[in-house]
Amino acid sequence: MTASLIIQVAIGGLLMGLIYALVAAGLSLIFGLMNIVNFAHGELLMVAMYAALLLHDHLHVGLLLQLPIVAALLFGVGVAIYRGLISRALGVRFNSGMVQIFITFGLSIFLVGLAQFMFGSDFRTLNDGAISTATVAWGQIVLPVSQIAAGGVCLLAFAALALISRTEFGRALEATREDRDAVALIGIDRDHIFSLGWGIGAATVGIAGVMLASFYYIAPSVGTSFAVIAYITVALGGFGSLLGALVAGLVVGLVEALTALFIDPSLKEIGIFALYVLVLMVRPRGLFGRQ
Amino acid sequence: MTIETPAVGRRTVLGAAVGAAALTSGPALAAAPPDILVGAVYPLSGNAAPIGNDARVALETAAAIINGHHDVPMLLGQGGGLPALGGAKIKLIFADSQNSPQIAQSEAERLITQDKVVAIIGSYTSATAVTISQICNRYEVPYISAENSAPSLSEQGLTWFFRPSPTDIAYQASTPSLAVEAARLRAANADVLMPSSYTNDAILLVRSMHNVGYTPKAIMAQDAGFIDPAFIAAVGPLAEGVMSRSSYASDAEKTRPAIPKVNALYKSGTKGKDLDDLSAREFTALQVLADAINRAGSTKNTALQAALKTTDIPGNQTIMPWKGIKFDATGQNILGNPVIQQYQHGAWHTIFPADVATADAIWTVGT
Amino acid sequence: MTGAAAHTIETRRRTQLLVGAGLLVGLIILPVLIPSPYWRGLMVLVLLYAGLSQGWNVLGGYCGQISLGHALYFGLGAYTSTLLFTRLGIPPTIGLFAGGALGGAAALLVGWPCFRLSGHYYAIATLVFGLIGLLLVENWDWVGAAEGITIPFRQQSWIDLQFRIAVLPFDYAMLAYAALAWLVAWLVEGSRWGFYWRAVKDDSIASRSLGVRVFPSKMAAAAISGAITGVGGALYAQYIGFIDPPSTFGLSLSVLIALPAVVGGVGTLWGPLLGAAVLIPVQQISIAKLGGAAGGVDLMIYGGLILVLALVRPQGLISLFGIRGAAGDAVVENG
Repeated sequence: MTASLIIQVAIGGLLMGLIYALVAAGLSLIFGLMNIVNFAHGELLMVAMYAALLLHDHLHVGLLLQLPIVAALLFGVGVAIYRGLISRALGVRFNSGMVQIFITFGLSIFLVGLAQFMFGSDFRTLNDGAISTATVAWGQIVLPVSQIAAGGVCLLAFAALALISRTEFGRALEATREDRDAVALIGIDRDHIFSLGWGIGAATVGIAGVMLASFYYIAPSVGTSFAVIAYITVALGGFGSLLGALVAGLVVGLVEALTALFIDPSLKEIGIFALYVLVLMVRPRGLFGRQ
Repeated sequence: MTIETPAVGRRTVLGAAVGAAALTSGPALAAAPPDILVGAVYPLSGNAAPIGNDARVALETAAAIINGHHDVPMLLGQGGGLPALGGAKIKLIFADSQNSPQIAQSEAERLITQDKVVAIIGSYTSATAVTISQICNRYEVPYISAENSAPSLSEQGLTWFFRPSPTDIAYQASTPSLAVEAARLRAANADVLMPSSYTNDAILLVRSMHNVGYTPKAIMAQDAGFIDPAFIAAVGPLAEGVMSRSSYASDAEKTRPAIPKVNALYKSGTKGKDLDDLSAREFTALQVLADAINRAGSTKNTALQAALKTTDIPGNQTIMPWKGIKFDATGQNILGNPVIQQYQHGAWHTIFPADVATADAIWTVGT
Repeated sequence: MTGAAAHTIETRRRTQLLVGAGLLVGLIILPVLIPSPYWRGLMVLVLLYAGLSQGWNVLGGYCGQISLGHALYFGLGAYTSTLLFTRLGIPPTIGLFAGGALGGAAALLVGWPCFRLSGHYYAIATLVFGLIGLLLVENWDWVGAAEGITIPFRQQSWIDLQFRIAVLPFDYAMLAYAALAWLVAWLVEGSRWGFYWRAVKDDSIASRSLGVRVFPSKMAAAAISGAITGVGGALYAQYIGFIDPPSTFGLSLSVLIALPAVVGGVGTLWGPLLGAAVLIPVQQISIAKLGGAAGGVDLMIYGGLILVLALVRPQGLISLFGIRGAAGDAVVENG
């Protein structure tokens, strides 16, 4: 096993980790705001990937333009899900935790069915010519341009999220998170903040979806495996923590890659799971969660 | 479940229309033989649904040729239904297994007991093939395993199980990333890679290998995902030089004259896909079944079983490059020899065995 | 608790037992009245999921711990009894107890680290433990790895739970299973444990001050819940005749085990049965009617139904009959 192989695998893992991190960031944001786990999160990723594919195939929209369009579209989807479903679930006075879980579960099954109904079940790919297959070599280390670009965009998206948290809206977000009921007294419309939170959370996944679509296959059930990793990432980093999502995403990507390299590719998730169980024992609310 | 009007209803309408004309044209039309119902269980939703939906078109193509008038140079290719049953037509009833062994089982049970199908064709994955074949054995209804290739299936001692295709293995669970696998392969610098996986993993593997700059001297795939047209569509030129075991040779039209017409019909049904290894095997499965029903001269299960056991179709009467179709005691075709194909200059070419080969092997992968 | 209130509860419990007995008689007769194997097969599934979900309900409903990893106990039960049968020739009627024991033990092992977690952290942790089980079995050659295990048909036998046409005998096997799961829930609901669980669910801090030992009482609920699920897994394996990792350890199964209780009414005696009687037929019939024709519509109906029911009937379908969850009133105050 050469050093260059280890570096190659580690960088590849970190790049994938950035995508995991961004998918997890949207989930974490929504959770932190209103204590809801969105079990249809993987399906939002799938919707974003199909949106990118349709824009590319039918309107010949390039990657750079896909990003804002899909982000805006997913923002709308997020707001719609909040207005149509979640706000009602929050009003439920009985079993509200369970209702939230199973509403989003129902939504995820529904969206998979809808995607299959609309686009069929074929594996689709977005062949963006140069970007999809280009690579950069650095000695023995060869990396795909598409994944480097995806990693870069994910970092930018994190920077944007960090900026948002410093704006007035961000402070309102933070205040709402601190005390859901008290904010109403100081004139913050809780419902408005929540729906914006869902919009931003979904738009974040939208960006991850566009970047993923540039090098990954697209199918109705593509979201499931990413969603599972996102749940683990969020639980690892701590629900509601942006920094936690970023760090945990990178760690998950790295551990997954190194487990596959040193133990066995078919057991790579075991590395993530073992890490998760370990953290669970020491810090039940994740690395950056409030204990 | 079919969305067509039930066969009985359609015949009633036909009968009424014919009734008026009967005075002049005689009684011949009144005795149209009943449709022969054949069940087909495939994953029509979920991860494996692309395969299932192609299988549906392949089977419908075979039924259209047997029932209609397409005049294809193969066994039963003259059309007009099954001659020994007075021109009876094959009618397919599809069911969705969702790739779940439990759903496959209950759907097979429903097809047998509610729809009274005379036989079932299925089902792509071995997990579903196991439960369907068990149910078929219990209800004594023939099960034609069209494309599943797990050897264990024909070792269960099932007397109602028939499999026209050769056996091999193909399974790998789907995962988000195969980059490390590719990097490990590069480090090992293996000359020949023999992957065996479903379409999504095949796409990821070949792309990842390219991404890490790994080019084996040869990729010798075990069909499955590698011969799926979606794989070629996804990886494009990266597939150049990939070799795969296959049951089907699209370029064997010289010795298998039925191929061009069958492929054209299939292509129009799938909006542009060519027949591949799986769809060709599914097509052939219905041909084998229809031939057995025709020779049995009835749809009675024991007669059908006996007819299947005495199946003997020469290879040139099919679209497959096999020597022919003839079942041993376990229901396994003993004349089904696979070929090896290579993706060269944007198309699959047969490179082995010599009698059906159309190209020489090229020993580099990728462009 | 006043004497009069205790008396009312006793009367209510006795009525429930009577209703249960009446329903049992009805369900014994029902399969004889439906001659079609397909509908009998549907009844097998409804009763299986009623029992499984009742098991889930003990932990998720009465104790309030939302588990998304019950497939782990199901899979352990299925693999244990199957391996005992295929490798050692031990009949599944004995093997299912071993499967149940292992399911219960696994639930204790998962509970030990997870019960310190609250809310969604607990749900995600159980989900991960379920996936760990899936991954290990998928990579373990000795138990068939990804290929799974086919249970060969030997002979018609109640001891081996093998039947040439399995639907009618399994209607009764699953009925016995669902009835026993119901009876266990009935017993624990009225026991000291049931009281503890409701206290833990409503407010675990307050209950601690009342002298309820929270952790042991959660562990007890987990063990009972895991054991019932494990037995269900063993019965399923014998009914289907084939097990593989995704169909016995998969995440979607974990959800399917929880759903009937959620849809029917969590923390109620009748919720899981009612939920299974609605959900399973909708799922299976939409597959049968639509699965072969219009891709995806069956999933849309199934997902949409779960979504709408959770939204408009959060207290479960059972509330249509005027029955509320065991801890309903207290949760209202928390919400």
